[in-house]
Amino acid sequence: MADPHQLFDDTSATAPGRGYAAQQSPPVGYPAQGSFLAEPMSSFAMTYGSTLASHGKEIVDKNIDRFIPVTKLKYYFAVDTVYVGKKLGLLLFPFMHQDWQVRYQQDTPVAPRFDINAPDLYIPVMAFITYILVAGLALGTQNRFSPDILGLQASSALAWLIVEVLAILLSLYLVTVNTDLTTIDLVAFSGYKYVGMIVGIVSGLLFGKTGYYLLLSWCCLSIFVFMIRTLRLKILSEAAAEGVLVRGAKNQLRMYLTMAIAALQPLFMYWLTYHLVR
Amino acid sequence: AAAMAFTLYALLQAALLFVNAIAVLHEERFLRNVGWGTEQGIGGFGEEPGIKAQLMNLIRSVRTVMRVPLIAVNSITIVLLLLFG
Repeated sequence: MADPHQLFDDTSATAPGRGYAAQQSPPVGYPAQGSFLAEPMSSFAMTYGSTLASHGKEIVDKNIDRFIPVTKLKYYFAVDTVYVGKKLGLLLFPFMHQDWQVRYQQDTPVAPRFDINAPDLYIPVMAFITYILVAGLALGTQNRFSPDILGLQASSALAWLIVEVLAILLSLYLVTVNTDLTTIDLVAFSGYKYVGMIVGIVSGLLFGKTGYYLLLSWCCLSIFVFMIRTLRLKILSEAAAEGVLVRGAKNQLRMYLTMAIAALQPLFMYWLTYHLVR
Repeated sequence: AAAMAFTLYALLQAALLFVNAIAVLHEERFLRNVGWGTEQGIGGFGEEPGIKAQLMNLIRSVRTVMRVPLIAVNSITIVLLLLFG
């Protein structure tokens, strides 16, 4: 059983640590492709250039973690084919799944490839890009396509995504929910609806408006159930999440918040796709 | 299809206007009369603050934090809009 802390399989063929230790010796293996390369000044220039490049790369590597949490992002992309398949099935049919709790490994959540309940960013990113392409396809079949429409669709969908995540963050802050939901988790959850949108648009292309409405309602329903079951465990307190009816204004408010977040998804799914299907 | 014109640029504009709107809410003349003044928001220590207290806290924090950056961003926006329409 692979160590769950190791996110990715190690496929490096070369031994680690070889990269920058070689910066002292001049780069080897440069065939003399002409008198230009054989001159001492140009070989010195190459050495200097490669030294500069490796220095720059070190500085970038040291500082990149301040702006983009690269290690945290890597966690969200640690997926494999089995996980993606099962997760897509779960997104489209969440009704039979029983255990929605994310498994933990010594305080850190297990990587997505080992736990189907963990959120990932691979599916949302791929679904977003596919949605843009399918939207272009749909517009093309109606002779409404032009290349800048793709960019417009992309930035529009992205803007709505940002608005949605900010709204969810604001409401979570106002209700003082003590949750371990990170912003990236919210982006991942908001990105799952693109899968349903793609299914809706494709069925609209294949089967016309009735197919679109049928499959879109099904996807709306499944994403609604999916979001409620996933967020319930994160937002509500322990007791309420078990299904026990816990009275109290706080838990009621949190339940309303969960339902509101889940209800936003079908709304956006319809809003972002209805103009694509005629 | 009119909703499709919601670009990232429009989002930036809306965000800037929204933050400006929060920044111009005057403590003494307005917020206190509505009951959203900062002294009225402090509740007990043991309780969790309610939504209203959180909102007032948020408004006060946004005003304090964004006061100086807003000056810079507004000036840049004015210059850019004057130059490029």
